[in-house]
Amino acid sequence: MPDGVATPPLEERPLAPEEVGVDLPFTAAEAAAEEGQAVFWIFVVAGLVFLVAGWLLPWFVELTSNGVGFSPQDAVSSAPTGIGTVLVYVIGVAMVANIAGAISDVLAVHWHIGRPWRMERTRAVLALAGAISAFSIWVLIGVYREEDLFGHLSAFASADGAIWMTLTGMLVLALAHGFREQVARHPDQFFAGVFLLFGALVPVIFGNQQATEVLTWAAGAAAVYTLLALGLNVVVGFAGLLDLGYAAFFAIGAYTAGSMASPRHGLHIPFWVIVFVAVAVAALFGAVLGAPTLRLRGDYLAIVTLGFGEIIPNAAQNNLFSQTGGPNGITGIRHPDIFGFNFGQNPRYYYWSLLFVIVLVILAFSNLQRSRLGRAWVAIREDEIAAAATGINTVSTKLLAFAIGASVSGLAGSFYGAQLGVVTPEDFEFAVSVTALTTVVLGGLGSNTGAALGGILVSFIIFWVLPHLQEWMTTVGQTTGITSLGTINYSTYTYIVYGLILISIMLLRPGGLLPSKARKVELQAGHESESLAAVQGVV
Amino acid sequence: MSQQTAVIRPAVRPTTAMRVRRINEVAAQIFPAVIIAVLVLLIIITAQQSGVAVAGEQLLNGLTIGGVYALIAVGYTMVYGIIELINFAHGDVFTLSAFYSVLVVRYSSALGFDLNSLAVNHGVGGFVLAMAIVLPITMLLAGLTGVTIERVAYRRLRNAPKLAPLITAVGVSFFLEGLMQARAGSANVPTGMRDWVRGDAFTIGGVTVTWKDIFVVGSAVFAMVLLQTFVRRTRLGKAMRATAQERDASLLSGININRTIAATFFIGSAMAAVGGVVYSIKEGEITWNLGFQFGIIAFTSAVLGGIGNIVGAGLGGFLIGLFAVFGSQLIGAQWANSIIFIMLIIVLTFRPVGLLGQRLPDRA
Repeated sequence: MPDGVATPPLEERPLAPEEVGVDLPFTAAEAAAEEGQAVFWIFVVAGLVFLVAGWLLPWFVELTSNGVGFSPQDAVSSAPTGIGTVLVYVIGVAMVANIAGAISDVLAVHWHIGRPWRMERTRAVLALAGAISAFSIWVLIGVYREEDLFGHLSAFASADGAIWMTLTGMLVLALAHGFREQVARHPDQFFAGVFLLFGALVPVIFGNQQATEVLTWAAGAAAVYTLLALGLNVVVGFAGLLDLGYAAFFAIGAYTAGSMASPRHGLHIPFWVIVFVAVAVAALFGAVLGAPTLRLRGDYLAIVTLGFGEIIPNAAQNNLFSQTGGPNGITGIRHPDIFGFNFGQNPRYYYWSLLFVIVLVILAFSNLQRSRLGRAWVAIREDEIAAAATGINTVSTKLLAFAIGASVSGLAGSFYGAQLGVVTPEDFEFAVSVTALTTVVLGGLGSNTGAALGGILVSFIIFWVLPHLQEWMTTVGQTTGITSLGTINYSTYTYIVYGLILISIMLLRPGGLLPSKARKVELQAGHESESLAAVQGVV
Repeated sequence: MSQQTAVIRPAVRPTTAMRVRRINEVAAQIFPAVIIAVLVLLIIITAQQSGVAVAGEQLLNGLTIGGVYALIAVGYTMVYGIIELINFAHGDVFTLSAFYSVLVVRYSSALGFDLNSLAVNHGVGGFVLAMAIVLPITMLLAGLTGVTIERVAYRRLRNAPKLAPLITAVGVSFFLEGLMQARAGSANVPTGMRDWVRGDAFTIGGVTVTWKDIFVVGSAVFAMVLLQTFVRRTRLGKAMRATAQERDASLLSGININRTIAATFFIGSAMAAVGGVVYSIKEGEITWNLGFQFGIIAFTSAVLGGIGNIVGAGLGGFLIGLFAVFGSQLIGAQWANSIIFIMLIIVLTFRPVGLLGQRLPDRA
């Protein structure tokens, strides 16, 4: 054979999946790499959403609050006289380039149309330039109050929020493109970093300083649900034990913490000690309540945990041993203080503490997932008998999953009680357990980043979209001229809307937003074969 | 010699784990008897504390509420048996069908044919005629609702990760509750059917048994017997059992899986509709979120009886009703929920498959 023919032998070249023609079973490492890619895409999508939202926000605000707003569009459409307009153009170019790049990549990767537009360094640089421009605008307007920046325009009521969102979007995109491999290798760590960096700024940018601040309250509630999602993910996602009564541990944490800092028992233990006690008590209860479920499998386990979830609020409601205060719960819980500074009513301190705790929990669980214990959980999840045969102590492994999962909800509970100053049995009903489970499944079982994303998404729907639906639809109605949209009383339809959102997200992405690839392969292999599914007409 | 004995019977003393396992096995075997014994004991204590009349009264209460639980539990157990899904929306299908029956009665009077007065004023014949109109229509509507839910929310997810349909079930549950709240408001809705069955049947040992008690328990038992006969004797019933046992093999032997599963949802929802009509007559008022509590308790009944087993679900429903009523009588009504679930946990600890269930393969 002449040496000019450069076809390498098949064995020397790694085959692409489409060449092999079948889905090869993933190894754990490949699956993890794919999950990392998924996190990369989440970053890209989130960055683009922030960009577009930041771009449109002032325009939207202008409509809702009658003409006090400054938008990039205003700057561009006005005579290009100021230096600010140039910056807006830079942002626009970076934004369009990234959106176009992302669309072409998605088309190429998922639908095999065209070739992926891989100029990732270029796009990262563009995004960085956009971010610097956005930051400069913010400095010029916000710090120096430079009013003539855009020629004759000078109203910029909501510039801060818009620019924060644009900046966030640009930076996230730049980060994702610039560190693609690193993101794919350490998705949880990158997510935690981005989450901490930009999450911490939310109340500063969008909120005001008052204790009644709605947005920060909502963000705090979202943080509590995110924490619950992370804890439940250990039990359901890692160890595969379906827990329908997770609110029980949340209640135990909140009641433990509340009892130790309220006039009811005359105790005044510092909050930062209480947190650890609450965590320990919740973990203990996790193991104790987990014990009767050890012999149970699948849905019998689910129903027993559901039972605990009903019994514990019921016991609190009935003032068990006269310790829980009955239907009124525990009142007058002291707000925490740190170095003599009291948190008081202001929601933003709780939000920041929770944010910090969430990041720690994500990092800890990310390590835990790859530890010996984490692998034992996966083994038990996939096949308990085989796991036992390989020498895993199934009893202690399962109990540890319950205890570790419960400990996080104890953490969430202690912050929850400390912020509200009161815990009542109604805060821990079945609906809370179901919501926590929903967040985990929506986010993607078995993935820390997925669980956190699910928590954020569901809380966003519950605490922000549903309460603001009326307002938004009125605006949309006014804008589009269909005024009847605003006259519907949406508070009547809250449940319907929430139900429809849940159904549609699950139908569109049955594996959750960030499906765990390893889990997916294992589940389908254990399930019925694809050909049979095709015969059935089930797609 | 001693050496040989050691080879034949190694001198292994039973370890603690072996003893525990043995105790568990024995406990599992005698458990149904223990449950009945505890129930009888509860009744006797109640009779001693508060008199035979009260005990009899509570026995009737337990049986009537248990009948409603049983009718709902059947739907849970059938759906679980065939697609391993906890159908959270089923309790709301029950409430919805109670609303359907109210609507049927209202529309009948709007059409000039007043079912209400027919049932109330024309004796037993009138009542039977009214039921013969209301019940099939309600069952049909509820059945169609169930089939629609399966088609929209569950069928596409049949091969998806197991928790995905659970979440859509929660979504459907929210949707139905929201629908009922938006249409009927948050307050209790009087059904106007309270007087359909009235009067005392007979008195036995100082306990007055009303016709309503007999009607509720009788309908529940009759519906369950009918259903069990259907599942045992008909072709469709056989197909349902086969699909529940081994879906792929049933498919290969020519069973239309989709139609069988849809039929299961139809029948389960129709049974919930029987429960809904019976409840509308029994209590006389319904609320939008009634199905939530009833759903959880009915599912508990299904698990107690051994999930997938129709007779077990019926039995579980009556048992849960009785235990809740007598437990509440002895400890206090505010503990009713705890009593139900503590009982469930004890049952599952000692007999993990439920009273009449078989060992389930692991599907977690």
